[in-house]
Amino acid sequence: MITQIYAKLKPVINSVLAGLVGLAGGAIIMALWGYPPIAAYNALFSAVAGSMYGFGSTLAQATPLILTGLTFAIGVRGGLFNIGAEGQMFMGAIAAVAVSTVAMPVGIHIVVSILAGMLAGALWSMPASALKISRGIHEVISTIMLNWIALYLGMYLVVDWLGDPQRAEKSISAASTARLPGMLSGTSLTFALIAAVIFALLIYFVVWKTTLGFEIRVVGKNPGAANYAGINENFSINSTFILGGMAAGLAGALQIIGHPPTFAIYADFSTVRNLGFDGIGVALIGRNHPIGVIFAAIFFAGLNVGARTMQITAGVPLEMVRVIQGVIIIALAAPELMNLWSRLTPGLKNWISEVKGS
Amino acid sequence: MSRIQTRKELEQKEVLLRAEGISKGFPGVWEHLILDEIDFDVRAGEVHTLLGENGAGKTVLANILSGFYSSTGGKIIINGEEVKLQSPQDGLEHGVGMIHQEVMLAKPYTVAENVALGTDDSDLSNPVSRVEREITELSKEYGLDVDPTAKVEDLSAGGQQRAEILKVLYHRPQVLILDEPTSLLTPLEAEQLFKVLRGMADDGFGVVFITHKMDEVMEVSDRVTVLKLGKTMGEKMITETDEEELTEMMLDEKIPIHLERKEFEDREVALSLENVHVTGPRGNVQVNGVSLDIKEGEILGIAGVSGNGQSEIIEAITGLRDIDEGSLIVQGEEVTDVPPRKIQDKGLAHMPEKRREIGVVEEMPVGENMVLRNYRHPPFSHYKVLDKEAITEHSERIIEEFNVICPDIWKSETRILSGGNIQRMILGRESWEQPPIIIASHPTHGLDRRAVSNTWELFMDLRDAGSAILLVSEDLDEVLSLSDRIAVMLDGEIVGVVDADSADKNEIGMMMTGA
Repeated sequence: MITQIYAKLKPVINSVLAGLVGLAGGAIIMALWGYPPIAAYNALFSAVAGSMYGFGSTLAQATPLILTGLTFAIGVRGGLFNIGAEGQMFMGAIAAVAVSTVAMPVGIHIVVSILAGMLAGALWSMPASALKISRGIHEVISTIMLNWIALYLGMYLVVDWLGDPQRAEKSISAASTARLPGMLSGTSLTFALIAAVIFALLIYFVVWKTTLGFEIRVVGKNPGAANYAGINENFSINSTFILGGMAAGLAGALQIIGHPPTFAIYADFSTVRNLGFDGIGVALIGRNHPIGVIFAAIFFAGLNVGARTMQITAGVPLEMVRVIQGVIIIALAAPELMNLWSRLTPGLKNWISEVKGS
Repeated sequence: MSRIQTRKELEQKEVLLRAEGISKGFPGVWEHLILDEIDFDVRAGEVHTLLGENGAGKTVLANILSGFYSSTGGKIIINGEEVKLQSPQDGLEHGVGMIHQEVMLAKPYTVAENVALGTDDSDLSNPVSRVEREITELSKEYGLDVDPTAKVEDLSAGGQQRAEILKVLYHRPQVLILDEPTSLLTPLEAEQLFKVLRGMADDGFGVVFITHKMDEVMEVSDRVTVLKLGKTMGEKMITETDEEELTEMMLDEKIPIHLERKEFEDREVALSLENVHVTGPRGNVQVNGVSLDIKEGEILGIAGVSGNGQSEIIEAITGLRDIDEGSLIVQGEEVTDVPPRKIQDKGLAHMPEKRREIGVVEEMPVGENMVLRNYRHPPFSHYKVLDKEAITEHSERIIEEFNVICPDIWKSETRILSGGNIQRMILGRESWEQPPIIIASHPTHGLDRRAVSNTWELFMDLRDAGSAILLVSEDLDEVLSLSDRIAVMLDGEIVGVVDADSADKNEIGMMMTGA
C-alpha cells in the first residue's frame, strides 16, 4: 500500500526535491557573492504569497506560460521537439488584435477573438508540419525559422496595419467588447486564467482519453508500432502540431484580450516576447503533463514576480536573481531533460546524417 | 573435456561464490516473490546451469549475483567473505562478471574501445593499444576469435557476444555468468561457445550458465539448479539426472505435444498473392514474384533460412511495405498498396517477428497495449473516446486466458514484462475473437515448452474453426507439425510447395538451402 502511494507520488516528490536542490544551489551562489540568501528567499516568497497583489500578478503571469508550456508538452508526447510556440503565439496575438477592428457584441467578440487566436496559432504551425511530413525536415530547424519570420512579419503588421494612430509604439487596443473581465481587482489577473486552465484540462482529456490522443502517444513513443497498429503517422504529426499551435495561439490571444491595462501588442513585442521559449522550461518542470504544466507555470511566474522584490528588499541585483532562477529551473527540469535528450537526439542525428549524405 | 562426475569430486572444489536465501520482490504488487529465498553456489572448475522457464527468475538472480540489481533479502559470500555488491563494477572487482542476453556494447566503437570504456588503467597517450594487445592475448588463450580493432556493429551476433565475454574476462573474474547466451547464436556458434565454456571451467573458472533449453543443459553442465516461479526446485549433478527428470522439475507436469487436427476441407481462398515483387532500400530484390493462395481453415507454413524474403513478404501482406509489382487480394478484394489500417480492418491479424520493437509500445501500460490494434473499434472506444472499463475487462480476459504475468494493467509499463509474457500478450490480442486471417511470424520463438505447446494448440483450434493462417518460422519442426501445406522460400522466391502429409524434413531442408 505504502509503495503504491509512493509510486503515485514519486514524480511529485522528485519535483519537490529538485526544487529544494535548486533553492539550495541558488543560496550557495548568493552566499558566495556575499548576498543574504535567507533574506532574499524571504523576499521572494512574501512577494508571491504575502499579498493579494503579488498572488494575482503571479497567476496572471502564469496564464500564457500554461499554454505555451502545453505546446511543448504535447509535442513531446507526440514525438516532436516543437519549439515554435513563440511564433505561433505572436500570430495568435495579432489575430486577436485584428478581430478587434470589427465591431461585435460583448460575449461573441470574446469567443471570436479566442477562436481567431487559436486558428492563427494552428495555421502558423502548419508549415513546420508540412515540411516534416513531405521533406523530412526536423521541426527544431523549421520552427526556429518560423519564429523569426513571425516576429518580423508581426512587427510589420503591428506598425503598418494594426498600428495605433495616436501612439506609434503600439497596436490598437482590443475592443472593449472583446476584453475579458478582471478576477481580482487591483491586479492584472483576468478570466484568461480560467480559459488557460480549461484548455489544459481539455488537452489532458484529448491526449489521454480519446483515440486521437492514443494515436498521438503511440506515434510519439514508437512510430514503428504505430505503423503496425494501422495508425496514420502523418495525420498524428499534423494533429500534434495543430493542438500545440492552438495552445500557443490562445496564449497570444489571451495576452491581448485578457491583459490589462494596455490590451495591445507593442511594436517591439515586449509584452509577449520569450513567453513561448519560457514554455519549454515550464513543460520540462511540469514533466510534459498538462496538470503538471499548470503548477509549473505558476512556479515559474512566481520566480519572475519575486525577482523584483528580491532586488529591492534583499539588494540582490536582477542579473543575480536571473542566475538563481536559472539554477532552480535547471534543477527542476533536469530529470525530464535527460529523458528528452535520449529520446529525441537519435532522430535529430539521423536527420543531420541524412542531410549530409544527400 | 573433463566433467565433474560425482558430488564427492565437486565438494573438493573451492567455493567461489555462495548465495544464501536471496529474495527479491515488490510486496503487494506481485502475487509472488520474483525470487524466494534462493540458495545457490558456484565452485571453481564447474559449469553450473540455472534452468527454468521464462519468468522463473533466472535473469534476476544472475543480475543480483553480479551486482546489477540489489536483493531484498539474503546474502552473498565471495571467497568466504560476505559482500554487498553495489554495482556491476563492484561485482567485477569481487571477481564476478556477467554476460547479458542482449549485448551491452557501444555499437559504433571498436571492441578494444568498448573494453577500455569499463577500465581506468589505459594510457593517456594511446589508450587502446594496450587493451588491444591484451584482448589479442586473451582471445588466443580462450579460443575467442575477435578482432579488437573491429567495430562492434560490424560483428556478427556471435562475434558481438565473444567481444562481450572478452570485455568481462579483461577484468580477470573468477566467476562468469552467461544469461541465455545461445539465443542469438547459430548452432555452430553455440557449439564453439560450449567448447570455450568447458575450457574455462577446466582452467578453474566457475561458470554459471543460464538457459531454458534442455539439450544445452545436458551438453555443457556439471551441475544444474532448477528454478520455477522464483523458487528452487532442486539441484542435481548432471550425472545423476536426465532430461526427463529435469523437465519434470522445471514444468511440474509433463506436457506431451501432440496435435489433433480435423480433416482439411476445401474452402474459400482467404488470402491470395499474385506475382508479388518487393524491392529493398538499395534496389535489391527481396521478394521475387511470389504467388500463394491460403484457404480458410488452412495453415500454410513458409520454411526457409532466415533472410530469404520471409520478413519482407509478411510486411508486404500487412501493408507495412510497398508492393512494387503484383497484387494482394484479401477475401476477394484487391488491397495492393492500401494503408495498413485498411488491410487490418478486413480482419487480418498479425503477430510480428519484432515483438518488443513494433508489437507493443514498451513505455505504455499493458492495458493500452492490449488494444493497440483495435482501440478505434467498439467496445474499446465510442465516438473517439476510449472506454477504459471495456479495455480493462478485455485485458483481464486475455491475461487470464493466456497466463500473462503482469502486476497491474494500468500501472505497469509493458517494458517490465518478460519476453515470453509479451509474446503471450500478443498471441492473445491477435487471436481474440477468431480473426479470419492470421499472419504469424516466429510465434513461439523464445517461449518455453509449455507455452509452445499451448501456442500450437491455439493455432490448431483457430485453424479448425476456419481461420486462414500464414506461419513463418525458423523452427522446421514447428512448420512441419502445424502446417497443412509448406511453401519453401529461397532468395525471395517460392521454390516449392509440398503437402505436409507427404513432407520429408530432409527434402525440405535441401530445398531451403538450394541443394
